[in-house]
Amino acid sequence: MVFSSIPFLFFFLPICFILYYAVPFSWKNGILLLFSLIFYTWGEPRYIVLLLFATGVDYINGRLMERYGADKKIRTIFLCSSVIINLSVLAFFKYADFIISTINIVFGTQIKPLGLSLPIGISFYTFQTMSYIIDLYRGTIRAEHSYLRYLTYVSMFPQLVAGPIVRFADVQRELHTRSTDREEVRQGILRFMMGLFKKVLIANRVGALWEEISSLGAGQTSVATAWLGALSFTLQLYFDFSAYSDMAIGMGRMLGFHFHENFNYPLTAVSVTDFWRRWHISLSTWFRDYVYIPLGGNRRGVLRHLRNIAVVWFLTGLWHGASWNFVLWGVYYGILLALEKYVWGSRLEKLPRWLRHAYALFIIVFGFVIFAITDAGKLGTYIGLMLGLAGNCPADSRCLWYLYNYGMELISACVLACPVYLWIRRKVEQMKGGIGVAVVGIGYMMGAALLLLSVAYLVNDTYNPFLYFRF
Amino acid sequence: MSTQDKIRKIAVIIYCGIILGLTVLLLAFPKEEFSQNENRYLAKFPEFSGESYLSGEYMDSLSDWLSDHFPMRDWFMGCKTAFEIATGKREIDGVYIAKDDYLIEAYDTPVNTQRICDTFRNFYEKTDQSKVDTRLMLIPTAVTIYQDKLPALAPGEDQTATAKGIYDKTGIPSIDCSGKLYEAVPFGQLYYRTDHHWTTFGAYQGYAAYCEAKGLRPVPLEDFSAQKVTEEFAGTLYSKVNDYHHVKDDIVVYTHPDDRLTVTYTDTGEVADSLYNMEYLAEKDKYSLFLNNIHTLVEIENANAQVEDVLVLIKDSYANSMVPFLVHHYRKIYVFDTRYYKQGVSDFLTEHDEVTDVLILYNMNTLDNDSGIRGIY
Repeated sequence: MVFSSIPFLFFFLPICFILYYAVPFSWKNGILLLFSLIFYTWGEPRYIVLLLFATGVDYINGRLMERYGADKKIRTIFLCSSVIINLSVLAFFKYADFIISTINIVFGTQIKPLGLSLPIGISFYTFQTMSYIIDLYRGTIRAEHSYLRYLTYVSMFPQLVAGPIVRFADVQRELHTRSTDREEVRQGILRFMMGLFKKVLIANRVGALWEEISSLGAGQTSVATAWLGALSFTLQLYFDFSAYSDMAIGMGRMLGFHFHENFNYPLTAVSVTDFWRRWHISLSTWFRDYVYIPLGGNRRGVLRHLRNIAVVWFLTGLWHGASWNFVLWGVYYGILLALEKYVWGSRLEKLPRWLRHAYALFIIVFGFVIFAITDAGKLGTYIGLMLGLAGNCPADSRCLWYLYNYGMELISACVLACPVYLWIRRKVEQMKGGIGVAVVGIGYMMGAALLLLSVAYLVNDTYNPFLYFRF
Repeated sequence: MSTQDKIRKIAVIIYCGIILGLTVLLLAFPKEEFSQNENRYLAKFPEFSGESYLSGEYMDSLSDWLSDHFPMRDWFMGCKTAFEIATGKREIDGVYIAKDDYLIEAYDTPVNTQRICDTFRNFYEKTDQSKVDTRLMLIPTAVTIYQDKLPALAPGEDQTATAKGIYDKTGIPSIDCSGKLYEAVPFGQLYYRTDHHWTTFGAYQGYAAYCEAKGLRPVPLEDFSAQKVTEEFAGTLYSKVNDYHHVKDDIVVYTHPDDRLTVTYTDTGEVADSLYNMEYLAEKDKYSLFLNNIHTLVEIENANAQVEDVLVLIKDSYANSMVPFLVHHYRKIYVFDTRYYKQGVSDFLTEHDEVTDVLILYNMNTLDNDSGIRGIY
């Protein structure tokens, strides 16, 4: 079930929260778990077994590690058992067909694909449970004694299907005791609404533009249109995914949890390195802490560092989907990061700021084309169109038509991709007296209008896929 | 607490009120079974069973039910459209918000042209051309004829080129009515403002082009008696766009005083003496009044035709408003809807010797995805 849908907003959400607030604290985890399981089974009833299995494995290994783990070797056994099982499940359900089709291409074999549907959220919860067992192995957290509490952590519906990847260490204390302070709840509601607007009013709309442009024939796509398409996909992905994180963080606060931020205005990055500090932070820090640094990071010489970059970015690409274009996308970033580190990074910093923005944005937008198009042939065609290699004209009236027809969405998206909202809020808070009150009043009234408008779009909706749902 | 904080507190209460209020309305209010505006039955509340729950079907059905019965559904959809038009959008769901209050359906790049050509050609080659005179008529839609009314910069795809390609490839003698339609632009409304069909006046231009090509003398429009049967026609494009303040259309129907018609709907066995079923005026989909909506095979006899010619008409709904003009020139017309007629029109022709003419008539916009074309041959 997606957050931005009528069944979620006007059925699941109100019932869940009314019950959650009505019961005493000792019941709250129970309610949360119950609704999380309902939420999960809403989309995929059968794979709930897999979720219960994966959490069970980690829970048991955690308990065993605690009990018999004075010796590091024994701890290692439990760690390996857990990690191997987790990765095998992930590999089987997410990558089996990918591996099969790759083998078929390389060796010319005819192995039949399994055709398994991807269990919802598996990439996210696998990484969450792995963070638990690795942290336990490192001794930075204590094992959770209650299976149900551990299951509540993994299955918690705000972040179950599309992140952020919340680590056990961050919520362990709150799983045991937390307050649902009214001010926190209010903040959470506002954050959730922000996410809802971003998803419904922007991501879905610019997504429709990308849909339109990407389905045009090559003869109808000018260079400008192709770039507009790439930009609209970039905006769609950012608003879609960060909206989901906003809603997750918002609902987390409504429940009394504090998740880390997952995005920090990534499209305003000044370099590729900067971009990855701002984009999907919970994933990049996960890879940093559990892969990159254990491999030695950048401390063991240039060659080892390059190898580590290669490994991390190959895996980052692969994590995003079982297809070679995602791997290519990861490798693309790996190479660019290495280049920034060893070739032009220091020179880049001397450039004027706007030029650095332009440089980063160019790489980001181009990169998301690789991300967007799974089919290698189509990807090649589209890049050809962007570079004008297909003999297509530089610009045409169709491009202007799209700019005009989607003007409202594109402008809002570009403005909101910058920290304008934060800036305005700071300014308004400084305003004293009547003006400040009037501005705040108008702002919140607009919020109500946007809420009704979002509902209108949802009611009307034929176009409402959550892009990160299937990763 | 500062005033700003108080406002924020009130705002959050209002937001929650909106969500909770709509939730209560959604769950508590009596439900409609049928949506007039969308012309479909709304989802029924699903019955629970372990099996349907495990397959995910139950939750899917429940989601559909919740979405279908949302309170003030039409109002919300109207809001969305009003907002989009106000903020400058000129295309909604594949419909242009065009000048002079026209809603004009966009023309998508065709993908099935080859298959359509093959079907037409197969049919044409199988019919005995020494016995029947076969013609192909592809009607351009408003997006072509009313190109001037399209919003600025709108990419108007070229229907004319596609039509010409089909005419050439099939080899069937063609009747191109676009000239007659263009000429008639200043003299009347050729297409509905709210529907994807042509008006009866537009259909008359098609009829005039047909007569010219066949060497028939068209009956002047003045000889027909015109009757405005409604001023409240809100057609398919209206439903697609949901702009409730949009102007509605008139429907004018023409009848010739001399015609003595027997209209037999072979699938239902109904027999009528008129080409119009005015009962549809009470419904949303008023265009259905022409030829009583959808029928597998309609037989129309005109006792006063004074000719022995018999026409087989293979068509989409555009023809329904042109038939009233054609009946004057044929003793009998067989009207096929090949989406439902499964026996093959070719075989029908070999069995019915009296047929002298065949007309294949489709509009350019729905031609590409008209499932009936497979049924021709």
